[in-house]
Parts: sequence; structure tokens; C-alpha cells
Amino acid sequence: MQSRALLSRLPLIAAMMLIGQPAVADDELKALRAEIAQLKQAYEQRIAALEKRLKEAESTPAPVAAAAPAGKVSAGSDFNPQISLILDGVYFRDNKKGGSVEMYEHIDGINHSHEHEGHDHGGLERGFNLRETELAFSATVSPHFDATAMMTVSSEGDVELEEAYFDTRSLPYGLKVRGGKFLSGIGYLNAQHPHQWDFVDQNLPYRTLLGDHGLLDTGLRLSWLPKTGNWYTQIGFELLQGKEQTFATSGEDTPTERADGNPLAATAAGELSSAKAGPRLTTLFMKFGPDLGNDHALQFGGWYARSNQHQEVHDHTGENPAALVHALEGKGKVWGLDAVYKYDAGGYGGKGDFKLIGEYLRLNKDLKIAFHENGALVGQKRDFTQDGIVLQGTYGFLPHWQAGVRYDATGLTKNDIHGPAGKIRDYGKSDRWTFALTRQIDHFSLLRLQASRADLWVEGEKEKVNQIFLQYQHSLGAHGAHSF
Amino acid sequence: MKRLLLFLAAFIALPVWALDVVATTSSMGMLARTVGGPQVSVTELAPPDRDAHMLQARPSMLRALRDAQLVVAVGAELEIGWLPAAIKGAANSAILPGRPGYFEAAAQVPLLDAGQTADRAQGDVHPAGNPHVNLDPARMATIAGALAERLAQLDSANAAAYRERAKRFAAAVEAKLPAWKRQAAGSGGAVLYHKDGIYLLHALGIPLHGTLEPVPGLAPTAAHLETLAGKLKDKGRKKGVIVHTPYQPPAGAEKLTSLTGWPIAVLPIDPPSGANADDYFALIDRWVAALSK
Repeated sequence: MQSRALLSRLPLIAAMMLIGQPAVADDELKALRAEIAQLKQAYEQRIAALEKRLKEAESTPAPVAAAAPAGKVSAGSDFNPQISLILDGVYFRDNKKGGSVEMYEHIDGINHSHEHEGHDHGGLERGFNLRETELAFSATVSPHFDATAMMTVSSEGDVELEEAYFDTRSLPYGLKVRGGKFLSGIGYLNAQHPHQWDFVDQNLPYRTLLGDHGLLDTGLRLSWLPKTGNWYTQIGFELLQGKEQTFATSGEDTPTERADGNPLAATAAGELSSAKAGPRLTTLFMKFGPDLGNDHALQFGGWYARSNQHQEVHDHTGENPAALVHALEGKGKVWGLDAVYKYDAGGYGGKGDFKLIGEYLRLNKDLKIAFHENGALVGQKRDFTQDGIVLQGTYGFLPHWQAGVRYDATGLTKNDIHGPAGKIRDYGKSDRWTFALTRQIDHFSLLRLQASRADLWVEGEKEKVNQIFLQYQHSLGAHGAHSF
Repeated sequence: MKRLLLFLAAFIALPVWALDVVATTSSMGMLARTVGGPQVSVTELAPPDRDAHMLQARPSMLRALRDAQLVVAVGAELEIGWLPAAIKGAANSAILPGRPGYFEAAAQVPLLDAGQTADRAQGDVHPAGNPHVNLDPARMATIAGALAERLAQLDSANAAAYRERAKRFAAAVEAKLPAWKRQAAGSGGAVLYHKDGIYLLHALGIPLHGTLEPVPGLAPTAAHLETLAGKLKDKGRKKGVIVHTPYQPPAGAEKLTSLTGWPIAVLPIDPPSGANADDYFALIDRWVAALSK
């Protein structure tokens, strides 16, 4: 409005100038000119400001104009795959000058001597560590398939394809097929990636009985959601290759030399069979969940996994020249029970929520000596059994703050090897208490402080092992929804 | 014989549920019931007393989705954290996004705040636009129309009934809007905790003076509230109202009240579970009354 007032005054001033009045004193004329100059300047400034406002208004459309075109379903996948990246780093200290990492890898048990290939999630140093970076891609392939690929990159740059699978979309009757390399549907925690864990590290029973990743293999899964009233029921059946699992490994070579460099004893006899054609590992799992309303969610599960061929070679001559090289083969089986309860308090930032998870696992390897330096032992039975348990709970004691406690044990009730004449070896029970404090900084970042105190049996010695972690995690990109 | 025939006739005449509908929120449940009438049976997944954006998938959701013929979701990424996982786990091809059995309300109407920079430095932003369309009665009327068409596509036998009910809902909204607008005319504006009420403010021409969250998804900070309070005082205008939902923590609003003297209103953004159209209108009445003080 002021600008307009100026505009209306301007012609008047101009007219005054044109007409000219010689009677007017020079001083007055000067004053008038100064005033005009001032007005002109102000006028120009205002015009510039107006132009700027006009430009701004043009570049930021009105809210209604900003409205998205109707009709696009946001949950639909764009053609580009959804990409997400998880950054994970820890600061780590222990009471063993860094030796605790090694101890955790050599906990006494029936899988101890079984050096299976592949990378480990360990390799921690005291101080700062960058853990594996998870990179996941997922997209809808066609009306019939979805596909997901997930890889990890270690801090040294080693890339590993962790999972790569397709899922069917259009099968009827609640059926679904997954194919490729994937985490098995057994148990509750097995299918979770490290960024979904409530604690920094893998639990003891999974680590010692199934391996750092849990059960991860290549094959096919058929799952079915039958109509069971208000109950949620899922039944799954998997045919897996049985490759490099703790209880399903094939294609091992019959030893031809000793690790200590000496030739095999003259009494050596026997040989390992050649690898059977896959799939050599089958699993069956079931999950049940009653409908308990909006605040409570409960799920029970039970599972069984069985391999029709398992081979392992034992050669400890490197550490102990008196040991005899031998190889075993037979069948492996694992079963487990799991239960999950979640309480949703409905509070802000997860305050008041809690979650309880319990799993029991039991592994049995029913093997025979297929090769031995003492050939007389070939054909003898060796029965390996070990079990473990993990119980963990988390509680949201403040908005975005979570406290967690976990008890896990391996060799809980059994951790032994039986021969034809009875028990040959009995390993101890290793267990641990873990406490974690998690701060969800925002939707995409967290900080976690974890302390654990474990009694581990390592090489027949009981070790008191304490570890402390300070972890950060960031989730970048299109981070998808998590299943229950 | 006559009795038996009568009984049979009554049985045939009984309204038979044609469609099993799963709605994500109670607002969507209200819409499905209002448009679907006796031809649909509606299950709601997210209770109205908590944030539908922060929910987690539960086995019972998978159970409900397993047999659903239609999912009525809000969309625009509101349910991003749980619905895709629940649908995937339900092994029901009829309700996959892109199929007729998947309906998104936000996809039927123009969205506010659309096309923002997809930069998470700006918080938990959703470039598709603000998903909280359920508080705009006019948009809900448009959505009801689209939902009627979808129901008609899935159950053509009752197409006319679906369209008729959607029209009735739209007419009811149109009848109520002028009164709401009149009542809201003198409003001093509002400060929201999160931009979850902006569609109603926009529809009624009530100015939004800011949010308690500095950016979406971050809790209010003292510095932000002081800046906001300064702005509100500077304007020297009529006092407005600070609104938050029952599940948002009250501390931020209380602090701003102490700084500005603006009153607080605690209002849910969804009607109660199992709500019908009248419950929804009652919710809008509550909002309008609180905003017009």
C-alpha cells in the first residue's frame, strides 16, 4: 500500500518540478531535490522488493497447486528396486586383552573341531570396529514374483552375498514358495538380520549349534497359511542343499596327510563316501499365534531340521601330534521350540512396550567313524548331542530408550559324545548374562551400550569373560517394514 | 410347509456378507462400513489410541489379511512400517498393491505437502505428501466415492447400493461443511504437535502457526519451542490453540502454553474403533469446537 501511495505522489512532485517556480529560493529547491531523490530511491527499493516477492511466489506454488496427482498408490513399487543400507560400528573392550573373541569362537562343544568355511562376524579388535555393512535390494519382478538380494561388505571390502531369493506372489490357498539362498524359517531369531537384533552379538545356542548366521542355505521353501479361525498358523517346509552347515556338510575328502606334516599311520583305514546329490537338508517348521487384541501379540513355534548326509574330518595333529586323524559321517538333526510375546503399551516412543523371546535348540549328530588312523575303529558309532537356550527381554522404560537383558547358554543339559560303550566326552555348560541399553536417536539411528559376563568352557578350562560394546547403527534409504 | 418356505425366504433375504474388508485405521474402517453397509464385514488393524505410523506387524494382522478380499489403507506411506510386511506375510495375492483388492485413500485425492525434498535431514519426511487425509471431510467424501467404485468392481451385484451410500455420505459432509466453516471463521489458528491435522485446518481456512516437532518425527526441543513462542507473540494476534493427540507426549504443549498462554486441546485424529459416519462427524465437531475457541 505504501508503494502505491508513493506512486500516486510521484506525478505531483514531477509536475512541481516541470512547472518550476523561480520565486522559490535555492535552498528550498535543494531540499525539494533531496526529497525527490530520497523518494526515488525508496520507490526503487520497494519495486525491487515487490519483484522479489513475485518471484518467490512463483517458485513456491500454493498448497493446492502442490497437491500430488491422484491415483498413484504409494505402496506400489516403482520400477527401481528399493535399496537400503545399514551402517554398523562398535567400540569394543574385554577383560582378556582382546582374547575373548577367540574364546567365543572356541567354546567347548560338539561342533568345536568342526572348522567350517566362510567368514565370521567376529574378528573384533579392542577399540573401534566397523562391522559388516548390510546392503539390501528388493523389488517386484513381475505379477508373479518378488525378489530380494542382500549382501554384506566387511571393513576390509570383502563382499558376501548373504541372501538372494525370489518369492511367489500369486499362488492360491495361502501358499508361497521362496527359492534361492535365504535364512531358514526355523525358530524366531533365525530369520533376523543383525540390524534387527536387540543385542550387539549372536546368541550362544545359535552361534554354537547353527553357526554365526544361524541356518542359511540354498534351496526352496513352501509355506502355507491355512484357514484356522482366529489363530494365525504358518506351516513351512524347506528343501535345502545342506552345504557347510554344522550338521549338514558333504563332499569332504578322505584325509591323505596329517596337519603336522607326518604321513598317516600304516594302520589307517576306511574312507568317506562321496557327496550325495542335494537337497540333503530338510526342515519343517510351524508357528501359531492367537489373536489377543491390539496390546498383546503371542507366537509359538516348533521346528525340526534333518540332514541325510553329514561329514566331518578331525585332525588335531597340528596342536597335538599324539592325536589320530579320523573322519566321521552320518546324519544330523536339530529341533527347537520358540515363543515370542510382545506388549504394545501404546505409549510415545515405545514407552512401556516389552518383548520376551525364548528359544530352545537341540542338535544331534548320529555318526559313524568312516576313516581312522587306527583302522580297527572304523564303523564305530559316535553320537553327538548338545542343546542350548536363549531367553531375552526388552523394555521401553522411557520414550526411545530400551533396556534389554538376555540369558543364553549352550550345552545346557547335554553336551557330550557317546560311543558304543557309553559316554566318551562330556563338555561343560557355557552361559552368559547380557545387559543392553538402547537409545533410538531417531527413526533411522540408534546407539547401544552392552555389557556381558560369561562363563565359557574353552579347551577344558572355565573362563570368566566380560565384554563391553558401544554400538551405533544407521539405516539409510528405503528401509522396509519388518515382519513380526 | 408354509413356515418352512417363510424361513427359507427369510434366510435368503438376510443380508449376506459379500466382502471381507480389512481397514488399517478406524477412519478407514468407518469409511468401509459407511460405504459397504451390510455387504461388508470390516476388521480394523490399528487401534485409534496409538500412532498408526509406528505400529508393528502382528500375527493376528496376517491372519486377518489372509482371507481379506479388500484392504482399505490410508497410504502415502503412513503404514509403511508394518502393512507391506503384513501383506507379504499373509500370502494373499488378491490384496497385493496394484490389485483391485488393495485400496489407498491418499491415492484418491490431492495431497498437501507433496513433492518435498526427499531429504531425511528434514526428519521422517514422505515425499508422496502428507498422509493424514482422514481429517478432511471433503476429501473423505471423494475417497468414499472412489471406494464405492472399488467395491462395485469387486461385487458388481451391489454396485448401486455402494454408490448410493457414498453419495449419502458426501451429501452429509456437504450439509455440515458450511456450519463448520462458519464456526471456524474467527479461529486464531493452531499449533499442532505433528502435521496430522493440517487437512482439516486447510479445509476450514484455519492458519497453522507451526508444529511442536522441529521436524517430523523428532521430539520437541526447548530451543524450537522458544523460537515458536517468540513467533506467536510477535504476531500479537488473537490466541490460537495448541493441539496434540492422546498418544503424543504433553510436555512440549505444556511448555508452549507456559510461554504463550495458548490453551491446549488433546484430540484424537481417528474416531473410535468400529465408528460409523456419525462418530466421525462427532470427531470433526470436537476438532472444530476446539479450534474455534
